[in-house]
Amino acid sequence: MTAAKTAAPGRLLKQVAGERQTGVLVVGGNPGGAVYVLEGRVIYAESPAAPGVGELLTTSGRLAARTWQNALDLGTSTARVGRLLVEQGHLTQGELELCVLGAIYDAAYFALSPGSAPVEFLAGATHWLGPVVHVDPAAVDREVSRRVRLLDEIFPDGRVDTAAVAPVPRPPRERVTLTSPQWELLVNADGQRTPADLALLLGRAGYATVQELRRMAAMGLLELPEVRTEGPEFVRLPRERGPAVDVRRPVVRPDDAPTVPVVAGARAAASVPAPAVVAPPPPASDAPPAPDPPRHSLAEESGANQMVYRPGRLARRKPGARLPKEVAGEPPPEHPGTDEVLLKRIRTALRALR
Amino acid sequence: MPGVDHCLQEAMAIPGAVGASIVDYTTGFPVATTGAAPNSDHEAAAAGTADVVQAANSRALFVSAVPHDLLEDLIITTSGGYHLLRMVRTDFDSRLVLYVWLDRGLGNLAVARRRMQKLADELVAS
Repeated sequence: MTAAKTAAPGRLLKQVAGERQTGVLVVGGNPGGAVYVLEGRVIYAESPAAPGVGELLTTSGRLAARTWQNALDLGTSTARVGRLLVEQGHLTQGELELCVLGAIYDAAYFALSPGSAPVEFLAGATHWLGPVVHVDPAAVDREVSRRVRLLDEIFPDGRVDTAAVAPVPRPPRERVTLTSPQWELLVNADGQRTPADLALLLGRAGYATVQELRRMAAMGLLELPEVRTEGPEFVRLPRERGPAVDVRRPVVRPDDAPTVPVVAGARAAASVPAPAVVAPPPPASDAPPAPDPPRHSLAEESGANQMVYRPGRLARRKPGARLPKEVAGEPPPEHPGTDEVLLKRIRTALRALR
Repeated sequence: MPGVDHCLQEAMAIPGAVGASIVDYTTGFPVATTGAAPNSDHEAAAAGTADVVQAANSRALFVSAVPHDLLEDLIITTSGGYHLLRMVRTDFDSRLVLYVWLDRGLGNLAVARRRMQKLADELVAS
């Protein structure tokens, strides 16, 4: 038994096969998988992204779930589930072999295609299905790399392989021709199901699903998920707007500044001979000195508008006069309607927490 | 019990058969092979087979006109041989085709087609 280490799963499989070992090669990562080897020959492979023999047979209705469960109950401990199904007449040998072969190559693609992943070989482990077919590991490895190449020939962008399948709202072409597997995928894509979910739901091979998705992506029928470069940004905060009240504005305290007539004339009777210029108060000792950019200078503003802003109370203005810049702030952004992008991101974030 | 290998043995027993294989036509992968292959390369032949089936299935209009009018056979003749492709319809998800290569002088197209139909049915029917 080798300890889990990061290596190329394909190379380790070759090594194990060369030594004619028996056991299971467990590949970590996402989606990862496992390849079962019996005396150097591959007898089964499984991956969370690829439906196994049981899912393929029951989802399609070929076997009743009960029949499959019975075979599991009877044959798991002795690793002859496959043989039982044939002996009891539920499947022909041909069907079983074809199904297992398909499942092996399908899962092997997901387990062995990463260039490096945490891999571990558990010697002696066998699979409950029992040996149905014996496949040359070199052929498996060759086929995996060929399948990787095939996908890139269709559409060289692997983003659609794992992200939730989201059809575009409007196809970018006048006429869309779909094959029936593509149609199945589109009608079952609800924006949340990943390719692996769809493969399991429909009982279709995981690789074939990815292949059809790449074809549809090449036709422009799928939305390409954004690539996240930095850490996950779970909630997008609203765009920063100017504050209604400029926090950097020096606080005018009622006691430390003379009351200034706001509108010349309107308060002409004000008893205080107002200086037109109010100097910013010295920063309080307990507060950090606020930077005071010139455009916020009260002196300038009050000089220009003849107004002084006092917190909590809007000064009376001349009829038709506009609000001072600081009070009006930035004009509120136009209402963008339901923020779908934000909702989508929240959904993605919630899914990540599952 | 007729398994995949048995099916291919039977296919080779068809008069004039030179080679046979079962091909996954989504990936162009030869699931099982026996006998000779064009250019002595079963994998290349399988990839070509897959292209032909895909073309007939998805890019030509004659298979999609009527509901349940599914593709059965593809027959390609050359001056030296016959290439027969028979769809193997399993209930579970698989996209397989039985391919038999016949010598033109020794093979009989009608007989071979009937035999292949029987083989493909027996492979998956209990």
